[in-house]
Amino acid sequence: MTEILSARSLTVRYGGNTAVHDVDLGIGAGRMVAVAGANGAGKSTLVNALAGWSRGYPVVSGDVLLDGQNISRLPPHQRSRGGLQHVPEGKNVFSELTVEENLALVRLGEDHAGRFLFSRSEVIDLFPRLHERRHHKGSALSGGERQMLAMARALLAGPRILLLDEPSVGLAPRLIGEVLAVVRSLVDRGLPVLVVDQNVRAVLEFADELYLLERGRIVGHGSAASMKNDDRILKAYLGDLAVKGDLQ
Amino acid sequence: MNVAQQAINGLVIGSGYACVALGWTILLGAARLVNFAHGQMYMLAAFICWFILTRSGIGYPLAAAISIVAMALLGVGMQLMMGRLVMTQNLTSLMIVTLGFGYILQGVAGLLFGGAPHTITTELVQQKIQFGDVWFTSQELLIFVVTLILYGVVWLVLQRTRQGAIIRSVAEDPKLAQLFGIDSRSVYIAIFVLEAVLVALAAVLVAPRTPILTSMGFEEVIITFVIVVLGGIGNVGGALIVGMLLGLFTSFFGALVTPAYTTAAIFAVLLAFLIAKPEGLRTR
Repeated sequence: MTEILSARSLTVRYGGNTAVHDVDLGIGAGRMVAVAGANGAGKSTLVNALAGWSRGYPVVSGDVLLDGQNISRLPPHQRSRGGLQHVPEGKNVFSELTVEENLALVRLGEDHAGRFLFSRSEVIDLFPRLHERRHHKGSALSGGERQMLAMARALLAGPRILLLDEPSVGLAPRLIGEVLAVVRSLVDRGLPVLVVDQNVRAVLEFADELYLLERGRIVGHGSAASMKNDDRILKAYLGDLAVKGDLQ
Repeated sequence: MNVAQQAINGLVIGSGYACVALGWTILLGAARLVNFAHGQMYMLAAFICWFILTRSGIGYPLAAAISIVAMALLGVGMQLMMGRLVMTQNLTSLMIVTLGFGYILQGVAGLLFGGAPHTITTELVQQKIQFGDVWFTSQELLIFVVTLILYGVVWLVLQRTRQGAIIRSVAEDPKLAQLFGIDSRSVYIAIFVLEAVLVALAAVLVAPRTPILTSMGFEEVIITFVIVVLGGIGNVGGALIVGMLLGLFTSFFGALVTPAYTTAAIFAVLLAFLIAKPEGLRTR
């Protein structure tokens, strides 16, 4: 299977602390890959490192390849222009710009090969609420609406791959399923997606495969179906009932 | 007291204030950065213009253009030196660094141009326009018109264009802007260059009205600070209105009380206004 995005020996250090150790991973075409792990396992650090982005100043080593090209030395805005679209956790839209202005900031890169192109109307079909709220500032949106806006921005930019960091955080339980279902529909159109989420139960319902991260190291990897039965997943994320077979 | 003449004087002074403040309005209001070397950049631009006018045969417009280009290059240099502070929007460090930069500029200008006052002589300063018992010079009319046009253009660019939205997005969160494919560093360089160009333009327009000294600059920063804060940070229209009102206040206070304490009086107004309305005329 062709890997659209891959990491080789990716290591991230903050000062004297190593947050991500020597990680190898790959996301193939049309695959939804999840990264699970406890708080502080290094999930966000890992996905940020793939995007070359951080709010701090980490030291990153190893290689990141997009469509076979080494992008390790590219700054985040160039990775974004190249089709690596990252929706970070937390603040991911401009609160002082309107929905319209947030979306108008996006410009499609010149190289369309390998990109998944979404028209404005297609994006609005996915997130109709954004059209209703188009004149509202980002600060006036709910958590779910901001998540939709952040994803809409990423789609309009013509992604080759989409990275989503904690898309379900702060969302009502009903919305979590809706957002992940939209993500799954994008994957079914061929767009590869890497999703990091603490809500392992929800993510496993939609993902194709899962990496398990502990203390910055990959300690497990497999199909979503097989990882549902992994003891560490069952005990740490799916609860005792699942261990007793309730989830099966 | 000739009220009409004082009003004209006030508008002239006010447009000068507003013109000098425009670069800072963009820097602090739109990009959330500070540059306390603003006043010394004003001084240096005026001196570069004066030096070229007196040492070469070229005219005022070309001397002004060369001064503006020189300040644009200075803006690029400052931005390149302060790259990381700017990206993290570390205002305290920026304040200290730019204050220091201002003192360096002042020292260099003192070494190059000396401490004596000089005058930028232009034909426009000599041309009087008289209406009844009020008058003003062509240079003052130019300052007034150019200031209005500049504020209008800046407002339109910031609020109605994609480039303006890019500046506002970088101001709000330069890191997030990178994920939108925006090169935040380049945007900051552009903003610093714009500020430098605007302060140089203000200098070559406003400085011919009064003698120039290498020690000047502090008052320009203070007045600019008052205008930007009272106008409401991020409010270009508010800065223009406050600039004009401060000009009128300066003119009438000078005529009715004394010009000697105008700056102190302006600060009294600032204090009173901020106590009553801490957010200025309007907040973002």
